[in-house]
Amino acid sequence: MENLYPPIVDGKSVYDLNSQKYLKMWHGPQHPGVTGNMSLELDICGDQVIKCNTHVGYLHRGFEKLMERRRYINCFPIVCRICVPEPDTNEYLFAAAMEDLMGIEIPERAKWLRTLNLELSRLASFLMWIGGQSGAFGMGTVAQWTMAHRDFVLDLFEEWTGARIYHMYTIPGGVRGDLPEGWDKRAEKTIAAVHKLLDEINYVMLNNAIFKQRAVGLGVITPEMVDAYGVVGPNARCCGLQRDIRKDQPYLIYDQLDFIIETETAGDAYSRTVVRWKEMYQSIALIRQILAKMPRSGALHATLPNVLHLKIPKGQTYLRAESTRGEYGYFMVSDGSAFPRKVTVRGPSYTHAMALLEDLAVGVNIADLPGLMVSLHTYPPEIER
Amino acid sequence: MNLRDILSPFFVWKRAFEKPYSINTLSAPRPGAPAYRGFHKNDVSKCIGCGTCAEICQNVSIEMVPVATAKDGDSGLRPKIDYGRCCWCALCVDICPSGSLTMSNAYTWVEEGLDKDVRDTFCYTPGVDSKPWDNEPLGYKKPDGYELLLLDRIPMPHLSPEERLSSFVELVKGYSRELAIREADRCIQCGICTATCPAHMNIPAYIKAIREDNIAAGLQILYDTNPLPGVCGRICTRLCEDVCALSHRGDAISIRWLKRYLTDCVEAEDYKDILKTEIKPLGKKVGIIGSGPGGLSAAYYLANMGYEVDIFEKTAAAGGMLRYGIPEYRLPYDKIDKDIDFITSLGVKIHYNTCVGKDISFDDIYKRYDAVFISTGLFEPYFIGIKGEDNEGVISGLKLLSDVTEGKEVSLGKHVVVVGGGNVAMDAARTARRLGSEVTILYRRRDEDMPADREEIDEAYEENVTFITQAIPLEINKLADNRLEFIWGKAEMHFEEGAKRPQPVLIEGSRETLVADTIIAAIGQGMNFAWMDGEAFANIKFGKWNIDADRWGRSSDQKIFIGGDMFNRTADAITAIADGHRSARAIDKLLNQ
Amino acid sequence: MKKLYDILSLQFELADFESKRSDLAFCKVKASQAISLLTHLRDIHGYTHLVMLTCVDWLEDKQFQLTYLLHNYATKTDLGILVFIDRDHPVMDSLHHLWKQGRVYQRELHEMFGIDFPGSPGVEEPMILEGWQGPPPMRRDFDTKAYSDETYSHRPRVQNEPEQHMKEQLYSED
Ligand SMILES: Cc1cc2nc3c(=O)[nH]c(=O)nc-3n(C[C@H](O)[C@H](O)[C@H](O)COP(=O)(O)OP(=O)(O)OC[C@H]3O[C@@H](n4cnc5c(N)ncnc54)[C@H](O)[C@@H]3O)c2cc1C
Ligand code: SF4
Ligand code: SF4
Ligand code: SF4
Repeated sequence: MENLYPPIVDGKSVYDLNSQKYLKMWHGPQHPGVTGNMSLELDICGDQVIKCNTHVGYLHRGFEKLMERRRYINCFPIVCRICVPEPDTNEYLFAAAMEDLMGIEIPERAKWLRTLNLELSRLASFLMWIGGQSGAFGMGTVAQWTMAHRDFVLDLFEEWTGARIYHMYTIPGGVRGDLPEGWDKRAEKTIAAVHKLLDEINYVMLNNAIFKQRAVGLGVITPEMVDAYGVVGPNARCCGLQRDIRKDQPYLIYDQLDFIIETETAGDAYSRTVVRWKEMYQSIALIRQILAKMPRSGALHATLPNVLHLKIPKGQTYLRAESTRGEYGYFMVSDGSAFPRKVTVRGPSYTHAMALLEDLAVGVNIADLPGLMVSLHTYPPEIER
Repeated sequence: MNLRDILSPFFVWKRAFEKPYSINTLSAPRPGAPAYRGFHKNDVSKCIGCGTCAEICQNVSIEMVPVATAKDGDSGLRPKIDYGRCCWCALCVDICPSGSLTMSNAYTWVEEGLDKDVRDTFCYTPGVDSKPWDNEPLGYKKPDGYELLLLDRIPMPHLSPEERLSSFVELVKGYSRELAIREADRCIQCGICTATCPAHMNIPAYIKAIREDNIAAGLQILYDTNPLPGVCGRICTRLCEDVCALSHRGDAISIRWLKRYLTDCVEAEDYKDILKTEIKPLGKKVGIIGSGPGGLSAAYYLANMGYEVDIFEKTAAAGGMLRYGIPEYRLPYDKIDKDIDFITSLGVKIHYNTCVGKDISFDDIYKRYDAVFISTGLFEPYFIGIKGEDNEGVISGLKLLSDVTEGKEVSLGKHVVVVGGGNVAMDAARTARRLGSEVTILYRRRDEDMPADREEIDEAYEENVTFITQAIPLEINKLADNRLEFIWGKAEMHFEEGAKRPQPVLIEGSRETLVADTIIAAIGQGMNFAWMDGEAFANIKFGKWNIDADRWGRSSDQKIFIGGDMFNRTADAITAIADGHRSARAIDKLLNQ
Repeated sequence: MKKLYDILSLQFELADFESKRSDLAFCKVKASQAISLLTHLRDIHGYTHLVMLTCVDWLEDKQFQLTYLLHNYATKTDLGILVFIDRDHPVMDSLHHLWKQGRVYQRELHEMFGIDFPGSPGVEEPMILEGWQGPPPMRRDFDTKAYSDETYSHRPRVQNEPEQHMKEQLYSED
């Protein structure tokens, strides 16, 4: 019985779907293994994928278009929605792009609070991702733990910013308020719990025979592929590239913080998991550093012109930040009016979930496909903005 | 695969005995965080219905609905929020200029009654439609340390007090283009001020024109409702600023200085081009008595409508109290001339030195013109009503001010006492300071009760005017050296219920003395109709104080209209201007429809 | 970055160099030279990372501005290459052979702006808007508000402007 229909994995061979040897299958858009809605159109042979086509369009909200008809301040509440699990990068980049075009320097304390905000949301986003990654390999219990811990982080956000998911905290010009009384203590309690959980994840996941069996060697990204596909973030670091925007082009106050770029060399789903897992420890350390070093007094917000009439001088700029998935970028063009002429959002999932996944999926067992997809840490909402 | 990897996951078996993460929200509800952005709350008694919340809401969730009758500074509208649209961004809360809008920390709201009108489902007007969280103290409020509104006024450059005392040079220097645009930028364009302005000037529109650096458009907007903008831009009582939305948590917009900026930007020669007045003569004539702001305003609008306008003015120059009352350091004469010259350039004729009742009879005018507008103002100073007031050296504030305007030699001597606490008193006192005298102001009530503009009182302090408050004048005596002895007594304040201001009551036996070279009475002025005569006069019905007139200024003789200080109660330039404009429209209705 | 611009100018027809920050600059190139410039930048000058490809619609000028943003990991600088193409006949050479993600960007631009990239694999396949009949929606002349007003019904409401409302209540003309 073995190899009755040898799979065609070179991606070039022509095959006949009507030959009864192959099957077309849709994975998603309502698949629990996908964060947000996206579907994969698969041609399979046996249980091996021979062709994968990513389909998006289930989440297109037209944010970039909406922004063209909104005052700058009115874009502020919508940009966070571009990426649900890690909205703060959007808030930061939108504000930073505006500030860059206007030539506004934000107060020192606001920079620290923004950094804290970004790191905390990195932690939340990674926790959610572990849930996806473990869940995709049938380890639902781990997912329960991490999702619960994410909720504890969201509790911190709720207390600090007034909302759990869409914080709308990083407002153009600075931030919207200080940390509440006693927040530091509660934050420490939560991140200590996350720290403990990460230690345990090492046992249940990284050193779990089943997980290793399935993740090692899955979806290997080679260093050559990185630039050819526009791969960024942990997906690039998993094959040995020392790239992290926080270090390479430090923004906010990252140059005043101590941390290292975590890398692995194998380039497979397992090493990506390890990179992210290690990065979470870095984030925890960063949050502790920020809380220890942060100035506790001083302005939170630079005086902006009246936001109801605000116009930005003609010009264009690009700003990037390191999100959990890698380079996130905002390209903003102003024509001198009260509305942005164009804002293009570069979400890292755009390249990861489309061109890269389509090629990596070929030859993969369909049972491993969700695991592969999550190992690229793709968030469909940032693909279609 | 090694054994370690198979065993390793069991290291965390103890988690099985840990407390579950999930909580039973039915038995132990989890409230939102103290600053959670939940459903809105609005302190409707504080809300001014400015609609700024609706303006900033990017989801168009807010509908402004009428819930109370409008009054000064409050449109009576209140925000109704559509939770099918709201995204809980709280920008509305952050920008609310009155600080009335906040949020509760309520997570959930179960709407009952599916048969409800679609317009009300998941929609409510916070503070009006009661909700369980109305009295919950927790929830989101605008955090400290960050502000979307620009609450601080751009400071106006002034002459220093020393520079001021040496001349009658204008004290306020005026905004530069950059400062004016920055000040104009603060305005949130709500339009709350428009209703309070007696002339209902379109304030947000001309502020917008300044912001957009469109001076010509701004000037046109000014002239739609005010033909003396250069004057008002300097001395307006600016009732609008009292209600400005921004005044609730910060400084009101400098509406007056912005108006001044607009007029200062345009040279007199360019007014004609910008305002593009095209006049089609109607062949009808209107006579106006008095060339104060009331008369001038009526003249401007009537001339624009095509009437032939003659103004009769008893003095040698036009402007009324603007010229003969308000001192030059507040309102330079050339600025009055600039506004008036534009009005006369439309063909308005001013007959100077023509006192009605003396040089021409009222009856004559009544017969010669199709309609008559009277705005002769208040020019009879009140007396203090004490012994010795008829001594030489006791003069009225008005007399001092008009003598200075006319360029007469005025010698007040070293020590001057001014009686009164209104604007005329301040003007007289500060004029006397500029003439080199030392000045003491005597006022019956407390400092905070003075009716004069606070800014003027403060400037008088800066100019080293001495204030004696709660002082009641008792008598004036001539001393041997020709100086005057002014005797006054200390007063106690009596607070009566319902009264706006407390009553000063002389403390029995209190008797203080001041010695002065000149005593200036500035306690108000009244009107006088002795100049009216003839058949028309007989037709006019008088009220208790004044000629009876409707809100258009129309007297019982339909051809006769009145306006200005003799008609309104605010007795300021802008109300006189509004009266003139309103009567002009009524006259047009009478003659042209 | 100006230096690089000067060197490139010897070979390519560049214009309007704009240095936005020390690590970000933009310049314009003729459409016909764009792809060879990108290849050159990628292979010779270390601009190996295509950060993104996007389009700005300058409706008034009847032009589309294509922006190819390249990043050099060694020098940590970004160069934005701007290409202006005719809005009425928007065709541009494809770069799918230079970067794998190129075809995805081009597919999106084709769908959203109606720009054709002949030779780009699958460029005509709908990416997001299956069954869409209207014009390419990211073009500025497509009015989303008008579209939504026509397509969906709204909860009825009256918007009272404070200024107007106060006028009616307090001082409207008789
Ligand atoms: C000292 C002082 C300071 C003031 N400061 C301010 C201020 O800062 N801001 C403000 O808004 N307002 C101020 N006012 C008030 C303001 O000047 C008046 O409200 C305004 O001028 C009233 O205009 P009017 O047209 O009613 O009359 P007036 O301005 O009083 O004009 C009446 C005109 O009629 C003429 N007239 C009178 N009788 C006859 C007659 N029989 N025949 C012919 N002509 C006649 C008079 O000569 C005069 O020119 C001030 C007033 C005074 C006295
Ligand atoms: S912004 Fe504040 S004051 Fe103005 S209408 Fe809204 S709630 Fe009322
Ligand atoms: S919270 Fe935001 S979306 Fe909701 S009503 Fe206020 S401004 Fe509008
Ligand atoms: S001046 Fe004040 S009240 Fe008037 S429109 Fe501007 S902000 Fe509103």
